[in-house]
Amino acid sequence: MTTRRLMLVGVLIALLEIGTLWLYAQDSYTTAQDSVAVNELHHRIAQNWPILQDHEPIGELDYVVLDMQGHLLYQTRAGLSESIHAAIVHRDTILDVYAQDELVAKLIIDNDSGIQRQRQKEALLLGLGFMIFVQALVWCSAIFYLRQRILLPFQRLKEFAMRVAGGNLDVPLHMDRTNLFGAFTESFDLMRSELKQARLAEAKANAEKKELIAKLSHDMKTPIASIKATAEVGLALAPDAKRQEQLTGILAKADQMDALITNLFTASLEELNQLSVTPQDMDSMVLAQILKQCDYLKRAQIPELPQCIIYADPLRIRQVFDNLFTNSYKYADTSIHLDVHCDNQWLWITLEDEGGGVSAAELPFLTHQYQRGTNAAGIAGAGLGLYISTYLMKEMKGELLVENGKQGLRITVKIALSGSDLRNV
Amino acid sequence: MKRCILLVGANLRKAKGQSVAIFILILLCACMLNIWLILSMDYKQNLERSHEELNGEHVTLVVSRNDEAMKEQLISLLEEDERTADYTLSPIMEMVGQFQYNGGKVNAPLLFIDMADAMNRRIGQIEIVADSAYDSGIYLPLIYRSEELDIGKEIVLSIGSQEQTYTICGFFNSMMYGSHNCGMIAMVLTSDQYEKLAALGYAPGALLGSIRLLKADQGEDYATQLKTSVVRFDSTVRITGNHYAMVAQSRFISQMICAGVMSAMACFILVIALVVIIANIINYIQEHMKQLGTLKALGYTSAQLIQVLLLQFEGLCVVASLFGIALAYGVFPIFNEMMIAQTGIPYHIHFVWQPFLFTMLILGSAVALVVWYSARRIRHIAVITALRQGVTTHSFKRNYVSLAHTNVPLSFALALKTALTHRKYQVTVCITMMVLALVVVFSGLMLHNMILDQEPFLNLIVGESADSCININLSHEEALRNFLERDERVNKYYLYHSESISHVGGVDLVATLSDDFNDVNNRSVVFEGRYPRYDNEVAIAAKYANDQDLRIGDEITLALGDRKERYLITGLIQITNNLGKDCLMTRSGFERLRPLQNTSYYVNLDENVEIDAFHEEISGYFGREVNALINIRTTIASASSVYVMLMSGIVIAILVLSVLIITFVLYLLVKTLLNNKVQEYGVYKALGYTTRQLILQTALSFMPSVVLSLGLGLLVNAWLINPLVTIFLSGIGIVKCTFIVPHMFNCIAGLVIVLFTFGLICLMARRIKRITPKQLLVGE
Amino acid sequence: MKQILLETEKLSKSFSGEGVLQHVLRNIDLTLYQGDFTVIMGASGAGKSTLLYALSGMDTPTLGTIRYGNQVLSDLSIDALALFRRQVCGFVFQQIYLLDTMNVMDNVLAAGLLVSKDKKAVVKRAMKLFAAVGISKEAQRKFPTQLSGGEAQRVGIVRALINHPAILFADEPTGALNSKTGLDVLDTLSAFHRQGQSIVMVTHDLRSALRGNRILYLKDGVILGECELGTYTQEDAQRTQRLNQFLGEMGW
Repeated sequence: MTTRRLMLVGVLIALLEIGTLWLYAQDSYTTAQDSVAVNELHHRIAQNWPILQDHEPIGELDYVVLDMQGHLLYQTRAGLSESIHAAIVHRDTILDVYAQDELVAKLIIDNDSGIQRQRQKEALLLGLGFMIFVQALVWCSAIFYLRQRILLPFQRLKEFAMRVAGGNLDVPLHMDRTNLFGAFTESFDLMRSELKQARLAEAKANAEKKELIAKLSHDMKTPIASIKATAEVGLALAPDAKRQEQLTGILAKADQMDALITNLFTASLEELNQLSVTPQDMDSMVLAQILKQCDYLKRAQIPELPQCIIYADPLRIRQVFDNLFTNSYKYADTSIHLDVHCDNQWLWITLEDEGGGVSAAELPFLTHQYQRGTNAAGIAGAGLGLYISTYLMKEMKGELLVENGKQGLRITVKIALSGSDLRNV
Repeated sequence: MKRCILLVGANLRKAKGQSVAIFILILLCACMLNIWLILSMDYKQNLERSHEELNGEHVTLVVSRNDEAMKEQLISLLEEDERTADYTLSPIMEMVGQFQYNGGKVNAPLLFIDMADAMNRRIGQIEIVADSAYDSGIYLPLIYRSEELDIGKEIVLSIGSQEQTYTICGFFNSMMYGSHNCGMIAMVLTSDQYEKLAALGYAPGALLGSIRLLKADQGEDYATQLKTSVVRFDSTVRITGNHYAMVAQSRFISQMICAGVMSAMACFILVIALVVIIANIINYIQEHMKQLGTLKALGYTSAQLIQVLLLQFEGLCVVASLFGIALAYGVFPIFNEMMIAQTGIPYHIHFVWQPFLFTMLILGSAVALVVWYSARRIRHIAVITALRQGVTTHSFKRNYVSLAHTNVPLSFALALKTALTHRKYQVTVCITMMVLALVVVFSGLMLHNMILDQEPFLNLIVGESADSCININLSHEEALRNFLERDERVNKYYLYHSESISHVGGVDLVATLSDDFNDVNNRSVVFEGRYPRYDNEVAIAAKYANDQDLRIGDEITLALGDRKERYLITGLIQITNNLGKDCLMTRSGFERLRPLQNTSYYVNLDENVEIDAFHEEISGYFGREVNALINIRTTIASASSVYVMLMSGIVIAILVLSVLIITFVLYLLVKTLLNNKVQEYGVYKALGYTTRQLILQTALSFMPSVVLSLGLGLLVNAWLINPLVTIFLSGIGIVKCTFIVPHMFNCIAGLVIVLFTFGLICLMARRIKRITPKQLLVGE
Repeated sequence: MKQILLETEKLSKSFSGEGVLQHVLRNIDLTLYQGDFTVIMGASGAGKSTLLYALSGMDTPTLGTIRYGNQVLSDLSIDALALFRRQVCGFVFQQIYLLDTMNVMDNVLAAGLLVSKDKKAVVKRAMKLFAAVGISKEAQRKFPTQLSGGEAQRVGIVRALINHPAILFADEPTGALNSKTGLDVLDTLSAFHRQGQSIVMVTHDLRSALRGNRILYLKDGVILGECELGTYTQEDAQRTQRLNQFLGEMGW
């Protein structure tokens, strides 16, 4: 790629040079006289006739004016053709000057093609010199480039090879983006890293072997079971005491092994009752929402709940609070005080109304099945609400406490914080 | 192949944003290419079609004498010439006249034609394109249809020095005298009005000859020779005429300008689309090094992988092009309306397959070439290297802008680091900015020279402008000079008179005469050499000189009637009036051939002088000796308003487009940059860099290349724009433009673009906000 | 009495993905003290790194508060958090994350100059830190890709410490290193700890954990327990045994 680019640059430079030379060739010097300037000069001389002492040269041409007798009237500088003959020899331009339709003078315009050619030669020399200079510059930079891109990297490669031979595999071979044989050095470095990798792989394989053995031991449970079965059958059919003893020994040891392995399994889960409660981690903000929705008569001032994650079943917890609020509406019908706080393990929510509570004797039975307080007379109900709520809270690893407060019945819902079962306080 | 298509689908889905951007760029490009091609291919053909439909003439000749002798002479001249295919001669009336149009005045020879005659001409028919129930009034060429000039409204015609009012009955389409660019304008009068005008005698009778030739391209020579022959027969008649090539070209100028702009814009967009594609592919290869390696490992060949990319971009290109062409036809009515207003030739939009094919071909091959070129590097991906994430591509050796040694503020230093390490992005930015710089310079140039100050453009198009032009008979020339000399309102007056002259071995030229060209207002008409000073000198139109292979210093022979004189060429000029058939000479130079019969003087008046009132004064003073009084200001205003409108439209379109493009390209770049640097930004954020700092840093990292390339682009383009516009306008005979480049505008526009770019990048880089340090968490 | 550095209250972090809400951290009440080398351990997926990133202000908690002095991190804006990070925290990552577009020195300065405008002082401190972790002058001019893993991580530590952070957060700093270079890095951290640097490190590597004086065990997003080991001076059997016992209790 880089060589191609190099060649491209070379070709471009060559084209550039040829192009410049071609342009030089195109710009061929014409020996033609500047006829417009000559025409202007010719007219001006005629207009300003006669030529006076203070005649200022007109235009940039060198010229001589001779009168009809061949006397010199004016010349722009010395050294010009001062006679018609000299002018012919010098290939000058000779014009007649008429003033008022009368031939009055001869105008000789100097032939400066010699000077022009000289100038052209100088320009060519300069151009060629510049070209050669550019050429030289290109060569120098090419050589410098080769040194930087080929010789030096090669040197580095040599040092690297010596290091690898010496067993040092940690030092990578760096290459820069412009390295001419990047792929080459790359494969060297690849070789180094592959060697290093191979060594690492070997160590890893050893470790894995050990792990495999550990795994296999797990898989021995099935064979042990069949050993046990075989031993039992053998024991039943054993012809003599000695064999019986041996088989009993085998059986005992197999049992022991089996027990060891069985320990790895967890006990099966207890079956649930008819109410399925599936507690999960939930945001306390969700609970705040639920509380607001349950207190549909807006009897309570619901305080801001502390930010935490509780462990509860959103459906069931709503059922619990629904029940609590409805009870209060039904039996007390007063405003409700809500108190919330949080500790390491629980989110405590306390509801207290101003209904005066129930008698101390009735208190323990409120949470029982089909039990209702004496103040429930005349109010429809089955006496199941608090019982179910207590059950649900228990299922959610929480608790429901009923007591008499200062002004009325106080119910405390203890909701488990997520992870509290794991925390060893 | 099927597998390739599967991969294509996956690629396209992954790079949705980029694909959409490329799609839109190609769509725009195709749209413009197609419009350009329709304008340049079918519009010209439409002109020819229209010409053929009307059985149009190739040469028109109006001779200001209408009698049997002249008619016979003309018929014999026409019959004798072998090149004549057919001809029609009609009696008409002709007079120089003017009328209000587009806030200015149109001033030209008016040909009054009888409606009945006009419709029945065998050659050079007139086609009524808008008619009405009015049965007494005038029909105008379609080009003059505007708000003030519409059916049922009235038009005031100044015929010579008299005024006449007509009701506009409708509009017609005519090739050779349907526009002010043709040298004469036809006015079709209903028969009653025609007779009325004839009776009034405002406009003298004339003969209108319409001639069809066997070969259309001989029109120019034919016209020259015919005129010479007629003058030889009667040297007192005034002859006006034109020929097809000239008319076609002059009526086509606007399309050429519009088409030129379209093609330039299409090219810019194409370049940018291609750059975006290249950047996209290079980026794709770098990002998917691993995937490409895997595919190679699975046995895909490089050719197949390149094919996938080809298929992907070609497919995109083809679909986008199709939509683009559809879009082109969707927006074409707008262009068409603009163009019709310019040319006055009705054009029916229809599907043209050549532009379609060319558009598809150009875009398809350009995209294919670019994709192939940039996807070639897939061949060099070695499987193992690729699977190791292309280690080779990521060992930079230089620590640009060492923080320990620089005194640049931290954000700038880090931005510079980014800029220098992601040089590939900078290349795209640079190219975009260069293109944008060209657009800005061009817009600035147009704004400054055509819209805000029309003088430079008018000088180029019209050549010379003053306030008033007075044509007076030679007998009263001295009196006029004295009058003007005395009048205090007159700032300057000078002879500026046009006469026809023929170049022996060439064609007829319009010679513009002045006593001394140092007096004229527009001194930039001669752009090479100098103005003629002596009676044997002439300056000729550069375009003509080029055609005839003439150079400064050469001698040419000019003739008038039977007299011939030799003249030295002292300079080259550019005036587009006569489409490059002009020359300048001194009065004495012209009078070597023939003395003048009347002379035109251009007059510069004081700022607040009412030109029309001044004219009335003149005509009151000199009476019938004055042949014409032209209010140059209003004449020019009407001619130039069209150009100004066109250019304003183009400039606005260009600006809007360039804003869109810059937004696109930056969007692509910023998106890729951010995608590639998510982790780096994450680390920066972890270190405590705020989002604002990172956005600033990102925006700043683009700034060096934006500022540098824009600055460089503005400089280079400010220098290049005149030659470029010259190429652009070369069709109308402009060889060298010397528009003023508004450097102040360029600087301000540059600054605005830099700020705009900066703001835009900041806006786009707001995505950084969504990068959070926790994304470093990848796989705990 | 140790001075309180960072305090969390019911810190929780949830991620929702594909419609499932996942609570990675749950109600964490944790206090970090000045001068402690706190090690957070736990099985993978226990939320160690999440906790680290929440503590260090790289990520905002879903619920709960984090207090640093009188600042409540959970209330800070994104930009204010960035300021907090640059002034108070230093980070050492498992994947090291040096910026590979600049050399080692500039990597450190890119962090240092963010806080201090006094370049000389920053360079001086960088040199001091480089000397302390054993990065040669020559290596300071190298690019991250040219460094070995251990060197790179030590540069990472220098970068983390350049702004005198109140807390150095380390996320499995030896995770990507082999055991020998890993030890070097740990020794470096221990050395800075002995000089009074507060460090919070997440690891599941026993040898790394031994360096801490306070070990927290995280399980399922909950701190299961903690253990006080005392300041590390050298690896001794008793220390190892205590740690092992603690981890055993935790069900490691």
